[in-house]
This record gives sequence, structure tokens and C-alpha cells, in this order.
Amino acid sequence: MSANRSVFKDEAKLDINYVPNRLPHREAEMRLLTEFFSFALAAPGKMAQRVLVVGDVGTGKTALSQRFGADITQQAKQRGINLHCIHVNCRQYRGSLFLILHYAVSTFHPTFPKRGFSAEELLNIFLQVLDEQNAHVILVLDELESLIEREGAEPVYKLTRLQEARFGKPQRISLICILKSLKSIEGLDPSTRSTLQSNIIRLEPYSREQLIDILNDRVQLAFKPFTVPEETVNLIAEIARSEGGNARFAIELLWRAGKYADAEDFSYVPPEFVRKAVSSIYAIARKSDLATLTLHEKLLLLGLARFFKENSDRAYASLTEVERTYAVVCEEFGVQPHTHTQLWKYLQMLSALGIIKKSVSSAGQRGRTTLLCLPSIPVKELEKELTTLLEKEVEGG
Amino acid sequence: MQIEEVLGNRLRVKILKILNQVKELNVSEIARRINANHKTTMKHLKILENEGILYHKRFGRIRLYRFNINSAKARAIQSLMENWDKSEEPAKSFRTTVK
Ligand SMILES: Nc1ncnc2c1ncn2[C@@H]1O[C@H](COP(=O)(O)OP(=O)(O)OP(=O)(O)O)[C@@H](O)[C@H]1O
Ligand SMILES: [Mg+2]
Repeated sequence: MSANRSVFKDEAKLDINYVPNRLPHREAEMRLLTEFFSFALAAPGKMAQRVLVVGDVGTGKTALSQRFGADITQQAKQRGINLHCIHVNCRQYRGSLFLILHYAVSTFHPTFPKRGFSAEELLNIFLQVLDEQNAHVILVLDELESLIEREGAEPVYKLTRLQEARFGKPQRISLICILKSLKSIEGLDPSTRSTLQSNIIRLEPYSREQLIDILNDRVQLAFKPFTVPEETVNLIAEIARSEGGNARFAIELLWRAGKYADAEDFSYVPPEFVRKAVSSIYAIARKSDLATLTLHEKLLLLGLARFFKENSDRAYASLTEVERTYAVVCEEFGVQPHTHTQLWKYLQMLSALGIIKKSVSSAGQRGRTTLLCLPSIPVKELEKELTTLLEKEVEGG
Repeated sequence: MQIEEVLGNRLRVKILKILNQVKELNVSEIARRINANHKTTMKHLKILENEGILYHKRFGRIRLYRFNINSAKARAIQSLMENWDKSEEPAKSFRTTVK
């Protein structure tokens, strides 16, 4: 494999720390944030804002707040406003208010000592630093759960009531709190909770279509033209959707699939490499799962594997297509094929086990069809494993 | 104070060198780095501050010292230190003629 044969144009655009300029399907949330913080450009110091961003794993909470932070500080700079956005991952600072504040202070004074004062004093020091530099801060407390778990309601309480002891002085610190769910703030005192909850931005899990748009953007940025077929993107989106609409998972799959393409010297990324990528992520011992399947479930699954092996550019198969390959497999093993209705039941089973995924196509020319997808197992491996099992079962039986 | 007095002390030169490298530091960290006790460190910091070379800012109990960029003396010392560690070729021609 030579470097110029890579499918990638700029792999760094798939790095977990890369924050894209544009976040498809978070435009409304971005606008909301901009509205909540419009004062920071118009009249900084006149108020302090608190916003809660809530959403499941990989729904773009960190990316949204970082994109927003970079954009607003840029705008502030153009207007001569000394605005800083300090993004702290609370978990990374072991949920300690002291360490979080120390990090915040050290963005202004990099060699600030770590000992000799309490978190409370450090908070006052932070305010002093901001007063001296006439600076305003949007403090992003990412993964706030950690801080609450370790120190309870106190830190959030303090951070939302800074101004009470600063009569007449400009307000300096606004908060963006990031949480996976509202459950973790149930234990806060009602007034702190209501302060936080007055501005909530909820990030819903991404739909399949939204994931496709997100992926297409990254494909453009990270891959050479025409190296990632639509079917590959569709398959990734399908899988990431079933993983809770998780964009991180989608981007990781895209990257890994690309790595497989490079490793095997492919000039493009077929759907099969996505399956490989999934299985490498899960590293699931599917073998035991497969052994427990009934004879016809195995035959049907083998039919599906054969289909994808022969049509390596396809991410989905229609039920009719699979019935055809299933019939061939039955013939091969000398078994009478089961009826359509029975097959339907087997598919339900395979789908319940998470081995296949079923989806219904949006009404196309032929009306609604059931589409089958094999998300997590590379077809060659699956075929080999099933053939071995079936040979034993049919001959032995 | 005369220049030979101000710069004639190892610890003071060390302090200046360290602050030239890291921009600002609190007293106990300076003490640790020059390997002196708090009292001695304070004494030297005060001298350098009185000369206008350093100044400090208080944050609660913490005092952060740094060069006073408004002072010509401070700037001269910084420039001296920056040039000091630049590896310079020894003046070979001169040495050979002397020998
Ligand atoms: N709308 C989007 N457009 C482009 N990329 C996105 C979008 N949403 C998320 N991503 C990308 O998906 C990945 C995961 O997003 P992010 O880290 O923001 O999720 P999160 O909600 O913070 O997840 P977690 O709860 O696990 O911290 C990142 O690489 C991010 O850049
Ligand atoms: Mg995050």
C-alpha cells in the first residue's frame, strides 16, 4: 500500500477532536444558543446566561458547544469584546470543582499554582482575573454529571450565584452545562435546578437520513472523490441509527472502513468494509449466537450472506432477493424450502438477535418493501461459519 | 543599587532566569526552583521589585511575580538572558593568534 493509493484525502477530518465548520441538522440548536447569548455581544457584563444542553451519546453536544464557542468568540473579537469560551470536560478533571476552576484560571495564567487555596478562593481568584482583564467567559461544563456525582449540588449552586456577592460589578461568567439526561440534576435544590432548566436545548438522536447528511459532509472533507459509494454511507447510517443515532459511532465506522480499504489496497470503500469495521468494534463472539439458530434460520442467513457476497456494492437486499438465494441454498443442502410466511418469522428472530436489520423502504415505485441489512458481520466470515455449522447439521441429521 | 550588586547574587540571577523562561510564578514555586527557603526568596524578590525589574500581583494568598515590561532595566536583562544561551562559536581566530 503506497500513500498515494489511500482513499483518504485528509484523515484528520475524521478525528474525534475535529470540530467541523458546519453541523448539519443542528442549525436550529445553534440558532437557539446564539439567541441565548446575544447579550454577550450586545451588552456583555449586563447579565450572565445559563444554558443546559441535553442529549444522548454522540448527538453532538460537545461539537455543538465547541462550534458555538469558536464562532461567538470570533465575533466578539471583531467587536473588541474580550470574550472567552472555556470548554471543560468535568470527567477529565475527575469531577472536581477545584481542578475545573484551576484549568479555567490557567487559561489566563498558565503557571498558576495548584496548592495553597480552596475551590472557593479559586473561584474568587478567577473573578479577579476576569475583572482585571475585563474579560467575559462562557464556561462550558461538559459531562457535568461527573461534577455533580462527586461534589453534589454545591458547585453548580455557587456558579449560578456568583453575582450575589458582587454587587454592582459586571457579570463575568455564563454557563453552558452539558448532560446526557436530566436525571442527574434531579438532586439539585429546586431553585438551582430551575435556574438551569429555564434554557434547555435538547439534542434528539439523529435519524438515518440526518446521519447520511453528516456522513456525506465528512466524506467530502476526508475522502478522495468517488471513493465512498452511497450504499456504504447508507449502511453506516443504518447501523449508527440502531446504535441510538450516535454520530460518533457513524464517523468512527466511516474511518475504520476507510482504513480497511487502504489496508486491502482498494480504491474505494465497499459496504463490506463497514461490516468488518463493526465487527472489529464489537469483536462479538457471534459464533455461539449462530450455533443456536434453527436449521432454516441458518439457511436463510446463509442466503443473505451469499446475496451480499455476490452483490458487494449493496447494503440492502429486498425480501424477494433473499428468498431467491435462500432457495438456492436449500437446494444445495438438499432441504425443502419453507414458505414465505415461515421465512418472515425467521427474519423476525434474526432481527431480534441483532444479526440482521430490517427496515421498510420509503414508498418507491413498487410500494413499500422490506429491506434487509447485515450490519455487523463480514459476509465471508458469516458464510464460512454457517457452512461449517450446516454441513455438520445436515449430514449428522 | 548598583548593577554589580543587583546581579552579583546567584539566587537573584536564577530568579531572573526562571522568570524570563516561564513569564510568571508564585513565591513558593520560585523558592522551590531556586532551592531556597521562603524568607530568602522573598528578600531577593523584594530587592528586584524595588529596582523596578519585577512586579507582582496578588490573587488571594498567591503572589505571582513577573518582569516589569515597562522597565528599561527589565527589558535589558531579558535581552541579556535571551542572548546568553545562544550557542556562539568561540572566537577561534582570536584564540589561535594568542596561542
Ligand atoms: N450535526 C453534526 N454534524 C457533523 N458532525 C457531527 C454532528 N453531530 C455530531 N458530530 C460529530 O460526531 C461526533 C460525536 O459528537 P459529540 O462528541 O459532539 O457528541 P456528544 O453528544 O458530546 O457525545 P457524548 O455524550 O458521548 O459526549 C463528533 O466527532 C462530532 O464532530
Ligand atoms: Mg461529548
